[in-house]
Amino acid sequence: MLTYTIRRLALFVPMAAGMVIVTFSLLLLVPGDPAAVLLGQEASPEDIARLRMALGLDDPWFARLGRYFAALLQGDMGRSIFQNQPVAGVIGERLGATVELALAALMVAIVLGFVLGIAAAMWQASWVDTACMLLAQLGVSMPVYWLGILLMLAFAVQLGWLPSIGRGEPLLAAAGMALAGNPGPLLKSLSHLVLPALALGVNSAAIISRLVRTSMIEVLGEDFVRTAYAKGLRRPRVIVRHALRNALLPVISVIGLRFGALLGGAVLTESIFGWPGLGQLTIAAISQRDIPLIQGIVLTYAMMFAVVNLLVDLSYALIDPRVRLG
Amino acid sequence: MRRQHLLAATCISLSVLAAPAGLMAQTAPTTVRVGLDVDAGTLDPRLARDTSAYRVTDLIYDGLVRLAPDLKPMPNLAKSWENPDPLTWIFTLRDGIVFHDGSPMTADDVVFTYQTILKPEMNAPLRALFTPIAKIEAVDAKTVKFTLSAPYSPLLSYLEMGIVPKKAVEGGADIGLKPIGTGPMKLSRWDRGSRIVLTASPQYWAGAPKTQELQLVVIGDNTARAQAFEAKDLDVIQSPLSPQDIKRLQGNAAFGNAVTTGLGITYLNFNTGDPAVSDPRMRRALAQLVDQKSIVDDLYRGVDQVAGSILLPSSWAYSATIRQPAFNPAEAGKALDALGWKDTNGDGIRDKDGKKLTVTISTHSEDPNRVQTLEFMQSVFQQAGVEAQLRISDWPSFSTGYVQKSQHQVALLGWLNIVDPDRLMYSQFSTNGPLNWGKYSNPELDALLDTGRKSLDLDARKTAYQKAAAIIANDLPYYVVSYQGYQVFYAKSLGTLEVNPRGYLRNVLGMAAR
Repeated sequence: MLTYTIRRLALFVPMAAGMVIVTFSLLLLVPGDPAAVLLGQEASPEDIARLRMALGLDDPWFARLGRYFAALLQGDMGRSIFQNQPVAGVIGERLGATVELALAALMVAIVLGFVLGIAAAMWQASWVDTACMLLAQLGVSMPVYWLGILLMLAFAVQLGWLPSIGRGEPLLAAAGMALAGNPGPLLKSLSHLVLPALALGVNSAAIISRLVRTSMIEVLGEDFVRTAYAKGLRRPRVIVRHALRNALLPVISVIGLRFGALLGGAVLTESIFGWPGLGQLTIAAISQRDIPLIQGIVLTYAMMFAVVNLLVDLSYALIDPRVRLG
Repeated sequence: MRRQHLLAATCISLSVLAAPAGLMAQTAPTTVRVGLDVDAGTLDPRLARDTSAYRVTDLIYDGLVRLAPDLKPMPNLAKSWENPDPLTWIFTLRDGIVFHDGSPMTADDVVFTYQTILKPEMNAPLRALFTPIAKIEAVDAKTVKFTLSAPYSPLLSYLEMGIVPKKAVEGGADIGLKPIGTGPMKLSRWDRGSRIVLTASPQYWAGAPKTQELQLVVIGDNTARAQAFEAKDLDVIQSPLSPQDIKRLQGNAAFGNAVTTGLGITYLNFNTGDPAVSDPRMRRALAQLVDQKSIVDDLYRGVDQVAGSILLPSSWAYSATIRQPAFNPAEAGKALDALGWKDTNGDGIRDKDGKKLTVTISTHSEDPNRVQTLEFMQSVFQQAGVEAQLRISDWPSFSTGYVQKSQHQVALLGWLNIVDPDRLMYSQFSTNGPLNWGKYSNPELDALLDTGRKSLDLDARKTAYQKAAAIIANDLPYYVVSYQGYQVFYAKSLGTLEVNPRGYLRNVLGMAAR
């Protein structure tokens, strides 16, 4: 398993290089000049030309790409053209918030998805099944943006139970304070997290629930489940220990893929809930043609996605003893 | 949030109990929360380029002058100024001004601020406005002398730029992140992308603001920002707002609402170098197909105003008698007929010499109102037998990749911060001017704009700009669709808010509106 992990980690390098090249090529094709955007509508053409030269934008593409790779190898992601700060620092400031939101949404997706999926499978073809799948249908159809606005309208504007916008202290820091006997910040952070995590997680929950249902129905019809019942095991034990474990494999790989979708969805969710993560930064960077920052963000997203998928693959071996990694 | 409300309410109650009856009306909330549509890019006033940066730096810094509601420059850090000759401006600074770090503000800081803006490598977005400055020097600690390369009367309006501390900046302080100004508020916390917290500066020279803390909360989505306001998580929200939210908020008696004309225009830029619209008669005919009233009433919900000319109603140069062509499809039809564009094949589109009458109108996708305006124009054009093709792309592609390369035929876009007519006309219409993307050239207009720029006599300038505006209203290198309006909604607990045309927030602090 260790060899496998190392090999997979080594594969990150060509993958990251590929990502950089693809992003770089796309940015070459998109019209719009970062120097002109930076200097604004009132800038003179001479000022724009001078800034282009200073930023190296007039150099041939291979020279720019080569320079970027050379810096990247030394751990330098460049400087943001607009914020005039190191890209790594700018991303670092926001990364925690996005990871926190995406993980919370993933929790929502897993918990809701499994509860609905298992319930639908256990009472297949009953009203419970219909109700669960109707909810799933709703969840799949509702865009993140729309759901976010609805949740905010219901729970913040009408009921006033939860804050509509912003983020409390980072969850880990707040948890630390709670352990030290001050639970206030943790409750505040959680209250800020609930609505965006729900808005972002519901779509994935719906997809997971459908998959869990299908997978469970298949497994519940297998011989070993009948055997388990025949041995006199009680239903909850059969469902959780025997059926669910076997139904998990296809679901796990989808959960890994959903994490990527959650990172993408976070772009919109963050904009609605004023969540200070990478999503809002991504929109700003693209609309300003802040090339080094866009490259850095894409690279960061790609690495996060790759790490999560590695974890998913590793988890196969833990769940299914038949799977051998190496 | 609720706890802060409670705290604020408690403080207010206590101060009300303690204050004599006559002072009660002046009590301001200790904390005010304002929604922003974007985070500030920097808090260095020299490099500010987005509306949030302008609004926040206006609170943290002071400039040599401030602009009165009619845009006339008034004393601020400079208590007076004189012009011994048209090329020299001498400013006398106020006594006893200190920066937030406690250091005194002197003429050296003013010199440093403008010298650094003029350095090309600083990449200051407004550098072009200051390039006529040939030399700037400190005569003594309280006197600054600007020497110009040519007479340049709009300069005074641009000297509201915040003054930065020379010593701190040269010592390596990054004032883009940790600003140090002389303004009424100082930065206490900045969670990038999320919120900016400012606290009152007790040593402010014009008296500390009544509001102790100002939280500026960033919510990119217009509707979400309006909902946060309704949920009482914000006290003030301002343009940009979505029309459907404006309607709903106006129906709620708990909120105050005010609208004012801003300092911006939305206009059609005709590329006079393109054969399709190079003939002024064609530009006039197309302009007569722009239904300004429906656009501002239905698409902008009455926040923007129908524009009459290129001069802003709030400007000292304004004249109501100068009028561009108004919406008149019948006249437009006759004009197009006269130009030889008639529908000879009955397909509903005019043609001439076997060629259909087609124009490409373009704008950027970030502003839904502009996109809707274009779609609406397209349908009116179509009814008049003009085939309008829309080209809508994001701002960098549209502005830097298209209009600024003079590749457009007709483009819908805007100008902001028009504090002086020179700023909207000189570089835009002078022959070969750097912002003359429509390639317009008219020696008579060039001479008038030159007079407007060089004369120090306000009446002479006014006459020059009114003549220039009349030429533009007739020749139509620009067709000004609307004067941009500016709207604010606020919790009535703040009292009655005066609106600032640029969305500046000093009035929210219980200070005189600027």
